[in-house]
Order: sequence, then C-alpha cells, then structure tokens
Amino acid sequence: MSLLDHKLLRDLRALKSQALAVALVMACGLAMMITTRSLILSLTAAREGYYARNRFAQVFAQVKRAPNAVREQLTSLPGVTAVETGLALQVSLDVPGLAEPAVGLFNSLPERGAPVLNIPYLRAGRLPQSQGGGATSELAVGEAFANAHGLRPGDTVSAVLNGRKQTFLLTGIVLSPEFVFEAPPGAALPDNKTYGVFWAPYRELATVFQLYGAFNRVALTLAPDASEGAVLAAVDRLLAPYGGRGAFGRANHPSDRRLDDELRVLRALSFAFPLVFLSVAAFMVNSVMARQVALQREQIAMLKACGFGNAQVGAHYFKFSLVIVAGGVALGAAGGLFLGGKFVTLYHLFFRFPQLVFRPDVPAFGAAAAASALAAFAGVAGAVRRAVRLPPAEAMRPEAPASYRPAFFERFRAVGWLGPSFRMTVRNLRRRPVRAALTCLALALATGILILPNAMRDGIAQVLDFQWDVVQRQTVTVALAEPQAARTIADFRHLPGVVLAEPFRSVPVELRAGPQVRRLALQGLPAQGTLSRVLDAEPAQRTLPEHGVILSAKLAEVLSVRPGDTLTLRPLEGEAREIAVPLVGLADDFAGVAAYMEIGAVNRLMREGDRINGAFLTVSSGQWTAFLHALKETPQIAGCYVKNSLREGFRATTAESIGLLQKMYAAFAAIVAFGIIYNSARISLSERARELATLRVLGFTRGEVGAVLVGELVLLTLAALPLGLVGGSGLARAIVTTVSTETVRLPLVLTASNYAFAVGVVAAASALSALLAARKIAGLDLVSALKTLD
Amino acid sequence: MPPAATPASPPSPRADQPVFCARGLTKTYGDGDAVVRALAGVDLDFYAGELIVLLGASGSGKSTLLNLLGGLDSPTAGTLRYRDHDLGTADEAGLTRFRRDAVGFVFQAYNLIPSLTARENVALIAEIARDPLAPEEALALVGLGARLDHFPAQLSGGEQQRVAIARAIAKRPEVLMCDEPTGALDVRTGVTVLEAVERINRELGTLTVIITHNAVIADMAGRVFTLSDGRIVGVRQNAHRAAVASLAW
Repeated sequence: MSLLDHKLLRDLRALKSQALAVALVMACGLAMMITTRSLILSLTAAREGYYARNRFAQVFAQVKRAPNAVREQLTSLPGVTAVETGLALQVSLDVPGLAEPAVGLFNSLPERGAPVLNIPYLRAGRLPQSQGGGATSELAVGEAFANAHGLRPGDTVSAVLNGRKQTFLLTGIVLSPEFVFEAPPGAALPDNKTYGVFWAPYRELATVFQLYGAFNRVALTLAPDASEGAVLAAVDRLLAPYGGRGAFGRANHPSDRRLDDELRVLRALSFAFPLVFLSVAAFMVNSVMARQVALQREQIAMLKACGFGNAQVGAHYFKFSLVIVAGGVALGAAGGLFLGGKFVTLYHLFFRFPQLVFRPDVPAFGAAAAASALAAFAGVAGAVRRAVRLPPAEAMRPEAPASYRPAFFERFRAVGWLGPSFRMTVRNLRRRPVRAALTCLALALATGILILPNAMRDGIAQVLDFQWDVVQRQTVTVALAEPQAARTIADFRHLPGVVLAEPFRSVPVELRAGPQVRRLALQGLPAQGTLSRVLDAEPAQRTLPEHGVILSAKLAEVLSVRPGDTLTLRPLEGEAREIAVPLVGLADDFAGVAAYMEIGAVNRLMREGDRINGAFLTVSSGQWTAFLHALKETPQIAGCYVKNSLREGFRATTAESIGLLQKMYAAFAAIVAFGIIYNSARISLSERARELATLRVLGFTRGEVGAVLVGELVLLTLAALPLGLVGGSGLARAIVTTVSTETVRLPLVLTASNYAFAVGVVAAASALSALLAARKIAGLDLVSALKTLD
Repeated sequence: MPPAATPASPPSPRADQPVFCARGLTKTYGDGDAVVRALAGVDLDFYAGELIVLLGASGSGKSTLLNLLGGLDSPTAGTLRYRDHDLGTADEAGLTRFRRDAVGFVFQAYNLIPSLTARENVALIAEIARDPLAPEEALALVGLGARLDHFPAQLSGGEQQRVAIARAIAKRPEVLMCDEPTGALDVRTGVTVLEAVERINRELGTLTVIITHNAVIADMAGRVFTLSDGRIVGVRQNAHRAAVASLAW
C-alpha cells in the first residue's frame, strides 16, 4: 500500500459518516436496480421454464359446443403443430368453512392419454381418474384455492354441476401454465377464497353437462414460422358454426398478460428509479469531494511540489470515491437481495409457478457497480480537475475570500426586519445557487417518492368504496349456469332474506369501431337500476336508453370513439348477425371495461326471448345464513359473488403489496432526506467552521449557532416540500396513467394525510440528521478556528 | 482630550474590587510525557477601566491567559474569578453566558462574517445582547461612519479590524480582549486600529486587555504584564500612557 493510500484511508476515516450517507443513497438506487433486475430474471426464468416443460399453448379459443371430430380439422390447419381440446365449465362450489358458494372453473383432463398442451403440474397427490360411475368422482384442485382453504388430497368438496349437487374426492393439488395468475377473467387481483381452478376426467364432466363427444375449449401450438394472425382467422372460421367465441393468442391470455404487465412495470422501475438515486448520489459525491479538495489545497500543492504528477493526484481522489462506490454497491447488493427475496415471497400471492425462486441477476450487480462508479466519477471529476489544475505555488496560498452580495429580495423594504443571521443564511444560499438548487431537488425527490404508494393505496380504497358501494349496491351477484327465462327473477325474490332483486343479461360480443376491435361481455341491465348502476364522471346515474350502448370511458378511449359515434356490435353466441349501435354515453368505472345496454335491448338483439343470466340481490343481514344455505341448494346457480368477501380479499392482497411498497419508499425517502441534509450540514460546518466559531466566541449558544448552521437547510427543506408534493403528485399521476389498462385503473386520489405523511417523513429525517450534524458544533475548537488566518 | 500623554488609569470607584482575580492559574495540555505547561501558576488582579498589555514572545502563554480570561477555555488548576463569578469551574453554558454578557473579542484575523455587511456584522450582536449600541454608533466610535454597507471582502484590513472592534463593543462589554489586533496590519493601519481601542477604553471605561509580542505597543498601556514560559516575569506601571499616534514600530 502506498503512502497516498494510507492517507486515503485516514482521510476516509475522518469522513466516514459522510461517506456512509453517500453510500446509503447510492445503495437505495442500486438495491432498486438489483431487486427489479433480479425479479425480472426470476419471473422470466420461471415462466420460460414452466411454459416449455408444461407446453403452454400459443393460441386459445372457446366455443359453445364443437364435436370432437373438429379436432382433426384443427390439427390439419397450416402452421398448427399440436392441438388440445377439452371442456372448461364454471360451477358453483360448496366449500367446507366458506359460508357463500365459491366459483370453480372445471377443466377436463383427456379421456385417453395425458394432456399434450397446458400440462398440469402435480404438486401433491395424483391426477383424478375416471370412476366410470358408482364411486365418488375425483377432482384435482389448483394450488391457490387449495392453500386458501387448507385443502389436501383426500378432502372432499361439493359442487353443483348442471343443476346436480355432487361430492368430489380431491386426489391432487395441481398447477397449470394457463393459470399462473389464478383469477376470474378480467380480475386485476386474485381472489383465491371464492374462485378456484379444478381438473376432472373428461368423461365425468362431459357426461354431467351432456357434452360427451364434444369440446368447448381449444389450445394450439404453432410451428415456428406460422403466422398467428392467419391461424386465429382459420380457427375462427372453423369454429364459427359451433358457436366459436373468437380465438386469441398469448398476448391476450389473461394469465400471461398479467405476467407481462408485471414485467413491464419492473422494467420501467429498473431504470428510472436507480437513475434518479444515482444522480443524487453523484451530486453528494461531488459536494463531499469538492470540499475535500478545497480543504486539501495545500496538501495537493505539497504533493505536486514534491513531484507527484497530475495523474497520481487525480487518481488519489478518484480512489476516494471508488471506496464510497464499493460501500454503496455492497449495501445496495445486500438491500437488493433482501428486498428481492421479500418481493418473491409477495409474488407467491399472485403468481403460481412450480418453482419461483429468487435468482440474483449477477450481471446486474456488475452493471450497478459500473453505473454507480460512473455516477461517482462524474461527481468527482470537476473537483479533481480543479485540484490538479492548480499550480503548486498558487495552491499553497489560501483561497481568495468569498465575496457576497445582498440577495435580490433584500431590495424590498419589507425584509428589513429580518435579522443578520437570517441574511447570512439567504446570502450563503445565493452564493452557491446550483448546490442549493440540487439539494432542494434531492429533498423534493425524497418528498415526492412518498406520494406514490399512498396515492395508490388511497386510489384503491376509493375504488373499493366507489365501485362497491356507489356503483354496486347489491349484497351478492348470482350467475346462472345457462340463460333462463326472465320470470326466473321471481325465484330469486323468493329466496330467504332477499329484499331486492334485479336481473342482468350478459352476452359475449365483439365491438368494432374502424380498425379497433374488442371482445367483451355486453351487460344488459334495467334502464334505471337501483342495485348495479351505470355512473358517469359526475358521478350521476345514467339511464340506459332503449337504443344505443354506454361504454366504459377507457373502452371508448381504446376504440377511439366518442358519444354520438356508431359502433358495430356482433354477438359471439346465438345466431350470427351484426348491428350498428350508437354510443350514447360513457361510464366512469375502474375495474375492467364494460359495455352496457338496456336489458330489453339486449334480448331484442339476441332474438331468444326475454332471458336473464343472473341477478343482483340485496339480502337482509338477519337471514344471511339462511339465504346462503338456500343458494347452495339451488341447482341453476353457476356462481355467486359476495360483495364484501370480494372486497376483503382485494383489501388483504393489496394491503400486503402496497404495505411493502410503502415501507420501501418510506425507507428510501428517509435515507435520501437524511443523507442529503446530513451531508450538506457537515459540508457547511466544515466550510463555515471559522464563522460559526466566531459566533460562539461572540457569545452565541450552541443552539443559536446550530440554528445558523441548519438555517439554510431549513429554508431548502421548506422550499423542497411543496416542490416535492407537486412533483410527487405529478409522478403519481404519470404512474397511475401508465398503469391504467383495460383491466385495472386507479383514480388519482391525493389526500391531505398523504401529503402530511410525506412532509412528516422528510421533515423528521431532515431534523434528525440536522441535529446529528449540529452536535458537531460542540466539537468546534474555538481557539484554533480563530487563530488561523484563512 | 489632549492628544499627548494621559495619566495612568485613574483609580476607579471600585478599584479595590478587581474585575478579574487569578491565583495560581495553571493550564496544561496533554498528559504523561507529552504534557505541555502553557500557564504555570499566574496571579493577577485586573481592575475596571484599566488598559492592560500582556507582552510576550510566541509560546510565552499570553494567548492561553487571554483565552482563560475571555472564557474560551478553562484552567487546569488555580482559581479565576470574574467579579462574583468563578470562571475556573464554570460549565460550557456558564462560559457562553459570560462571553455573551461581559466580553468583547478582537482577533488578529478579524473573523468577520463574510456574508454580512459592516453594519450587519455589528447588528448581529443585537440578536444576543441585552442593551446593545446601535451599529451606526459603534461604527462611528471606531471611525467607520461611512462604509456601513460594505461587505468584508470590500474593506481593507484596517477597516475590517475596526468593524471587529465595533462588533466587540456593541454589546457594551465590561471587558475588551484584543489578541494581536495589529498582527496582520502595517504600522499606519495598526495605529488607527489601536487608536480605536484606546478611545473605547477611554470613553466607555471598558477594561481592555491587549496581547502582543510588540513591545512598542506596551507604551500605550497603564500596566504591562510580561510573560515568559507560562509565568508573569514582570509587571510595569507606566507613569504616562503614550499617545497611540506617537507609536511606531
């Protein structure tokens, strides 16, 4: 080790708390980068391996009922390499320990041989086998649902299949590449208590639903050179006569798309956030090193006078920042690994893989180290350049004294009452405007990043309250297995405890506006419903007109249509026809996208008479148990969604993920605020030691001198807080807009408590670090600070 | 006032009661083999209104003595009283209060706040003093009535030092401590600064202690204490205080 390196180590020891502050801020950015890069690696690796091993299909389609012979035709389509057909049916479940009926999606396993596509992964037990009547039918259950209810192989569940209640023996716990995200179609978050996926032998399922010899879902894989678009069109043509509901590729597969969304967010976070943190760290390195170089002017002159070259002197100070970078990388790596592990655990709530292990993205560590070294070098370069440029003789002389001018606003008479110590503060800021601005920006950043997680939390709360209390006033939504005559609503009204019942008719349709096409369920509702209502942005209830359709605002945006425009609507079941409907209004809703029509208009469109798919019910709480009991005994019911259960499930899941985000952002914000204030205060203390010592000699107390020292930082913090709140609100708006998709949207909700929290965290971190730095005033050597001439 | 000689400090009404009283005042730094005895048992009594010069070479202990008298440091042994207060045992806060209420300091290096104008440097005292002089009045006393709104960087060394004196006396201190006040100045400028000090002593009756290695300056004092090796080796009472204008070195 050279003597210069010894000097480096000793200098670092003297600067250790400042070096630590810089390293911590750097570590925040690096931790974020390593966490997100590693999560991307973990998720993509888990997904790729899983999809390949369990042969996840590339094209999917649903059909009302197609004979098995069609399968051969599908196989012979050009570009298709493998075909899997089967049944997927929604049933109502009676799960022990769950008051309300749950919804199960029953998938068939091939009658002969093993599945060739979307092969289930057996976590425990075995796959169910056909019992050929007589013995209890067997069933495998998806892991998410099994975990939510503590189900194990050997347990039984009851389900109502095609109006007949049946008991099943669970033989195994299963995962499927089709249900990595195991949630009802269109849901943004899983609800594993009331929705589950199951696998049953084809024969049992087909027999009960009178679909033997037929299939209602298709999965295909394609040859590497095949055109997906061409295959989709061919499949649609082939399945149209059998009630095809439109084929789609992986890009529109709900589970895969949800994973893609997650990866997209991670990719955005893996770049922007670390960049911001590293920029702040670079600024801090710069200010620390600039001060260090200023303090060591004479040492630099001495080194150069002794014959050390510019390169050696420059390298010495670069090494200084390199040590800080090394510390930052080590802390960042540790933080990244810790957070990554936490997030992977959290992902188990959302995504079901045979194995989702945290994989540290090793190249990301290298990239992180390189990025922070670059940031630090950028920060230190200016200071080092100044150091090596000094001719030795000049460097031996003290720096010229600082010159000051009155600040601009002092020209105003009104500020005359401000005391000299306040003027000192203002003029000091004015003398280094860039440093003041950057410090202020960094503090604003710390304030701003706190807004986002709470805005999301408040947005979600607003959706929960708005969507579930204002729009949907029902206690429970009940879905029929098959559309039934409108008079069925009377049966619902007779269920115990039912106070109000309103029917709905739901039909899968294709909406077209110019080149834009969307497939979704058209909701037929009473014109002026009291339970499930259509609200506009006011929010005021919209009356559904006899003609025309109301769309979710987001859907209208996607289709590029405005009220007054005409859409082409094609039902995806029943007889093939197309009608033109005017868009009469927009609905302001936050979950999924919907098209609403008056229920009579939907029935006229379908030409199947007055039918309903289910009902919205309000149930008096006193008879809730009796109602649920009766519901479980009602065979026509395919699904039942209890509003409060959905809400609680949603709350629990989001609370956990938002909670982790909140903690992380709060920690990062506190570190940045703490680091920047501490660093600034220490530099200020070093630069103004003489001035502060003079004040002490004049009789100012430690506290009064401390106030002069941190006065600047208090002003900067006061300026930064509103800036941060505005910036943070902008950031929250940008993020909320970015994550606003057709499946999930969040309103931008900015509350006073959100702002208060952000201000509180930054103010507390700033105050604490200022206090720590101000304690150093006690260590000022009054005598020697005054004796030496600058 | 006649510019020529002035009589030695007139006995003040409280002459029998010293402002400062030190007995066996000792200050050592370090311990073991590295112990340095900066002050080795000093006895002294300073009275109100006196102008005292502490004369000595570098390392004689005069600065250490001034630091103890000014409440910037605490003695290792011996007693030091300021009026009824025991400075020797006063804590941090006590010493701060003493400096705040009773002492004005003038240093060789001026130590003005660079971000404040001359007027504001003096006005700073108003933030902590009970009954301060108006900054303009204090500056006029040192002959700086004109350059009130200049920043230190815009003032000459002599002007800066006179601002420092104005700042020191703005709180109407009972004691003015001057540590080599002319050390960084040429003779002509030094004389103007000493004239300001002398005028304060004369007009305000402030007990003034000047430390210097410059024997010529000692002629302006009433009493001169010569220090060497941490001890007082001589006390001289000047029969006549020399007029500052007549000093040359």
